[in-house]
Amino acid sequence: MVSMIRRRLTGLAVVLFGVTLLSFLLASISPVDPAEAYALRVTQQPTPEQIAAIRVELGLHLPLHQQYFRWVGNLLQGDLGISYLTKKPVLSDIAEKLPVTLQLVGLALVWVALVTVPIGILTALKPGTLFDQAVRWATILGISLPSFWLGFLLLLLFTLILPVFQVVNAGTLGSLILPSLTLAVPAASAFIRLFRATLLSNLNKDYVVYARARGIRQSRIVWVHVVKNSLPPLITLFCQYVGLLVTGSAVVESLFSLPGIGMHLVNASMARDLPTVNGCVLVIALIFVLTRTAAELINARLNPKLTDKEERLYG
Amino acid sequence: MGKAILNNKQALAGLALIAIVSIMAVLAPVMAPNDPNKIDVMSRFLAPSAQYPLGTDQLGRCVLSRLLYGAIYSLGIAVPTLFVLGGIGAALGTAAAYIGGRWERGFLVVCDIVMAFPSLVLMLALIGSLGQGLVSIVAATVSTMWAWFAKVVWSYASLEKGKDYIVASCIAGCSGWRIVFGHIMPNLLPQFAVYLSTGIAGFILMVSGLSYLGLGFEAGTPEWGAMLSEAKAHFFSHPTLVVYPGLCILLAAAGFNLFGEALRDILSPEEASE
Repeated sequence: MVSMIRRRLTGLAVVLFGVTLLSFLLASISPVDPAEAYALRVTQQPTPEQIAAIRVELGLHLPLHQQYFRWVGNLLQGDLGISYLTKKPVLSDIAEKLPVTLQLVGLALVWVALVTVPIGILTALKPGTLFDQAVRWATILGISLPSFWLGFLLLLLFTLILPVFQVVNAGTLGSLILPSLTLAVPAASAFIRLFRATLLSNLNKDYVVYARARGIRQSRIVWVHVVKNSLPPLITLFCQYVGLLVTGSAVVESLFSLPGIGMHLVNASMARDLPTVNGCVLVIALIFVLTRTAAELINARLNPKLTDKEERLYG
Repeated sequence: MGKAILNNKQALAGLALIAIVSIMAVLAPVMAPNDPNKIDVMSRFLAPSAQYPLGTDQLGRCVLSRLLYGAIYSLGIAVPTLFVLGGIGAALGTAAAYIGGRWERGFLVVCDIVMAFPSLVLMLALIGSLGQGLVSIVAATVSTMWAWFAKVVWSYASLEKGKDYIVASCIAGCSGWRIVFGHIMPNLLPQFAVYLSTGIAGFILMVSGLSYLGLGFEAGTPEWGAMLSEAKAHFFSHPTLVVYPGLCILLAAAGFNLFGEALRDILSPEEASE
């Protein structure tokens, strides 16, 4: 276990190094000059001298590798630089935007968990029934839904047809209900499908027959043995979704005008605000790798035998 | 196999939807009642009529014609992306699993880096430097998605590699190429086909999401996501302008998902439900 954690942490550092390097490389291939974009925001028609002065001021005249090492050096002191766009420290911008997205994703995952477990179990215990068929078709539609369109439909439903609660009311939990549902429906559909399939394949295993032969109650077999053994793929996907939803929330944030990190990153990319882009990329990648590592550790605790194969592969 | 598909209601429903979208794409120039890009400010927001079967949009363009042309963009991106991604994924995944050792570990690390990198940033950077249009969208999609595809192939291939028949063919003196192309690849094909079919649905959703954010296409392109995005200001007064393109995206994606999932049931009966 300890050696596994140590190896995961090294892997994590390697991934973060690669991700930030990639972010710097991508910044250099774009034809739009960040110094020029910066100058255009300050003055209407910047002279070449002004642009050159800004380039030196921002440190963009240095070769790419020097820029990168400077950035990493500052990062190790907890400094991600100043945003070109908001003129505030990148870190404080992120600290302001990230909680919005995390609340949104968190609430979406609460819906997902609440729906997936009961529906997954009900459909797997009675496959082929009308309910199972209905869930099957509904979840296929669910994974095919464009999230922004679903958001529009929900807005339409709850503003014009069923005005039950305040939809646009920034800063409260109520304002997150529709956006989180928008994120949750496609995710829950994918989860229900996976959970049902895993439960079904586990229900056909020999250990279930053996447990039944020992006279163990069906409910106990399902809850204690089958569900526990079906959780690892679900947990892996669940943690993967945390990372994916943090980036994927940009569309939903733009639709519901939420000031989250997804839109912050899109705006920064379009405005060539390099410090913000690099900072956000680092934070999002960190969330992605941390949640994945968490999934691996949880699964290793739940079912130690499963990790044997992994160990050999990464050995 | 063909018979199994014909006997499967879900596969047929999926195929029917795929056929409808393909026909829309191929016959759009013939079937469209009007020029999809002709702006006529005098006839904005017209109700459905004989000349405009689904009415007109905020710039007086024929909605039906634009929806039909939208199928060209959706499939025109999804199909080439699929071939490129399928090729890259299959080649890298099997190669890494077969060669093993240091190369395999390097491959996994690179995959992890690409997967952890926010896909939106990668796409924005590539579309920004390659310009707008079909080619750069395909390039952007491929460069973000290849790691996911290659890793899936790798995980199947590394399971396959340990099986006895591969050991047997090694002992029989098969060359590396023959083992990869003659033995491993054919055995991966069914799972890969399923993954690709559901993958197309993913591309359709991804591309429409990108163009919803205003990326990838020039303003005014009759692409479904872009249509929806342009109409969103008039959402409360003319909701159909948003509902129609979304419905098209949903049906196109559902077609490939239905077919892919049915294919999985047919190919691996032990996991099938019915």
